[in-house]
Amino acid sequence: YLAKLSSVGSISEEETCEKLKGLIQRQVQMCKRNLEVMDSVRRGAQLAIEECQYQFRNRRWNCSTLDTLPVFGKVVTQGTREAAFVYAISSAGVAFAVTRACSSGELEKCGCDGTVHGVSPQGFQWSGCSDNIAYGVAFSQSFVDVRERSKGASSSRALMNLHNNEAGRKAILNNMRVECKCHGVSGSCEVKTCWKAMPPFRKVGNMLKEKFDGATEVEQRKIGSTKVLVPKNSQFKPHTDEDLVYLDSSPDFCDHDLKNGVLGTSGRQCNKTSKAIDGCELMCCGRGFHTDEVEVVERCSCKFHWCCFVKCKQCHRVVEMHTCR
Amino acid sequence: MSTKKLCIVGGILLSFPRHRLSSGGLMVTPSPTTAMHYMSIKCVDVRKNHHKTKWLMPWGPNQCEKIRDLDEAMSRQIEANDIVFAVHIPLPKKEMSPWFQFILVILQLDIAFKKNNEIITLDVSLAYRDDMFGEWKEMAHAIETRKLKCSFASPKTIEHEGRHYDCDALTFMEIGTVAHKFYLLNIRLPVNERKQINVGIGEIKDVRLVSIHQNGGFTKVWFAMKTFLTPSIFIIMVWYWRRITMMTRAPVLLEKVIFALGISMTFINIPVEWFSIGFDWTWMLLFGDIRQGLFYAMLLSFWIIFCGEHMMDQNERNRLSGYWKQVGPIAVGAFCLFIFDMCERGVQLKNPFYSIWTTDVGTELAMAFIIVAGICLCLYFLFLCFMVFQVFRNISGKQSSLPAMSQVRRLHYEGLIFRFKFLMLITLACAAMTIIFFIVSQVTEGHWKWGDFTVQGNSAFFTGIYGMWNLYVFGLMFLYAPSHKNYGEDQSNGDLGVSSGEELQLTTTITHVDGPTEVYKLARKEAQE
Repeated sequence: YLAKLSSVGSISEEETCEKLKGLIQRQVQMCKRNLEVMDSVRRGAQLAIEECQYQFRNRRWNCSTLDTLPVFGKVVTQGTREAAFVYAISSAGVAFAVTRACSSGELEKCGCDGTVHGVSPQGFQWSGCSDNIAYGVAFSQSFVDVRERSKGASSSRALMNLHNNEAGRKAILNNMRVECKCHGVSGSCEVKTCWKAMPPFRKVGNMLKEKFDGATEVEQRKIGSTKVLVPKNSQFKPHTDEDLVYLDSSPDFCDHDLKNGVLGTSGRQCNKTSKAIDGCELMCCGRGFHTDEVEVVERCSCKFHWCCFVKCKQCHRVVEMHTCR
Repeated sequence: MSTKKLCIVGGILLSFPRHRLSSGGLMVTPSPTTAMHYMSIKCVDVRKNHHKTKWLMPWGPNQCEKIRDLDEAMSRQIEANDIVFAVHIPLPKKEMSPWFQFILVILQLDIAFKKNNEIITLDVSLAYRDDMFGEWKEMAHAIETRKLKCSFASPKTIEHEGRHYDCDALTFMEIGTVAHKFYLLNIRLPVNERKQINVGIGEIKDVRLVSIHQNGGFTKVWFAMKTFLTPSIFIIMVWYWRRITMMTRAPVLLEKVIFALGISMTFINIPVEWFSIGFDWTWMLLFGDIRQGLFYAMLLSFWIIFCGEHMMDQNERNRLSGYWKQVGPIAVGAFCLFIFDMCERGVQLKNPFYSIWTTDVGTELAMAFIIVAGICLCLYFLFLCFMVFQVFRNISGKQSSLPAMSQVRRLHYEGLIFRFKFLMLITLACAAMTIIFFIVSQVTEGHWKWGDFTVQGNSAFFTGIYGMWNLYVFGLMFLYAPSHKNYGEDQSNGDLGVSSGEELQLTTTITHVDGPTEVYKLARKEAQE
């Protein structure tokens, strides 16, 4: 699966672009042209995987990665809900990481790239630069979307992926925090400058998870000469740019099925008291569960500095752990 | 002043503000300020002693030894005291320029765990250089404390684990001129267990900065405007004063106040900022504040005195001491704000990282100054409203008894009433415009889209309002200048009746703008009587 693998691979340097598996030809070209950005792309993908695993830690499908080529298994190559989430979070992750790299000065092309305010140095002096987020989003658009576009944007899968990629980026753009500072005479609000700050990535993950829960099942229809995705159930209101869409319903992820990259839920921990998906009833697909008493060692009453120094006591606690059969 | 001339001038004046407002916005003027984001790079200071400052560059040639995140530092057993957050202003391939006028830097911390609101101690140093490969020269170094105000928006459950605290942005630095091309900030967060420094600040994930500077384009437009306005106000001021000195009598208080208003307007207009392009004058920001403060104080005093002089009761005022009750609060308020500004921006001349708000005593002091100034302002507005009310009451009283008066007295009072109402009207209009535009610019994000091009509302607001008040002062001096027609004439009472009768006919039939001058003439005649 797409940029993901480049992430799990090593740092992009020189001609490593070609060695990266999972990139299509156009992406390899982009990689060569934007070498400095690739490291952030890699970090963005890592960020996306971490976030995905965090958001899905309590579900049957827990975003676990495999060592084989489609990192998430077949689940993601089909048009499922899960695929929708993975596409969205990874395009968001790339945009996020590139924007961050811009702000730390690691990239030279950001902001004043000439597309927004004319020629670079004069433009900067005259009216400042565009936000770094604009560059991050634009890069994510060109790098991540190129996969689908090159396939020809007519297939329903391509349309779905493009839509979900965009939804991921929208999750960042629509959650930008506006912060302001007054700096007029004596610090009064006569002059006020506002800027947009990126939300923490956890928030983006939460938003997308919400969208995942309310994702719309769509099908392809031809309206005029263009093909569009419309909700399968015509009584549902049409999805917006920010919503996730999917084509196929997901498998139940209960059983181990290596061929499709499904790990199954046996051996997973579950919550005995919960009635939701993390509860043992649902998580174990009715197969029942073991209960063990385990002593866990936790760190408690810690003393720490802001960095690099933590001194904790070890607390022992006995907990009941439930694992699916 | 002939009617025709007045009509033309009035017409021009009226069409001017709209023109200026739109031209200010529709021109290529960019928004007044730009905010830029910086993510600090975590450098490892490999030398063991920190006594001699060595500058750590976040990127480019000679960049420091970086660590990606602080967990890495943990595993490599780097101490907190060896970590330096480095930020280079501006971002790569860009240069700062004197046109930016000022840089204001705001600090934001991403904190993961925290006990309670704590004081954070920062060891900060600022360096500059003018070419990409030169040596860094130290500009300032300080050990500063800031109060951390953080909140955790959502309840502390597993659900929200890993979310950061929302911490208030901290004012970090302000420099009043941008004389150099490159700036470098090195921030350390020293930990000292014994002195309890930085022990309870929680786990810091990232240090982010936002720098705000004025846009070069806006500065240029602003300078151009000031350069254009200075001579126009100056010329009308000279003309006005000449008119006054041409008269046989000494100038009355109101005339003096208008002249003083003209002087303060000119003072604010004089584009001394041009010097900031060539010289490293850090006090320019403070100077600008003082100039604005002077003008505001002058304008407020003018309104009070104008009302007082139109009270139409028998009290003899015409002296500044007669207004001590009203002008007093202005002076006190302005003085308070001046002291506050000196404490904040004045000290920043020496230490750009200083802020009066960081210590408890400082905060209380600053609040005290601001509250006193606020009370003075309220007091002033109460006085002003009361006086306006009184004037209106006297006006209605006089209007009912007008027909019974002798012609001379009637003309005198009618003149006063008209004069007052006229100024009242334009003042209210100007104030309303200012307030409306202020609110609009605060509510909207500062730019409106009209078809293909975006209008920078904030720039239009600043240039427009500035132009409008210039025009206001211009108009005041122009319209309220004593007429030179009857200059030196020694008229008898009989004469007066006839001539002013004619003139009044003129003023009532023609433009309103004519009023004040005519009226002034009448008032003077009254004085001569």
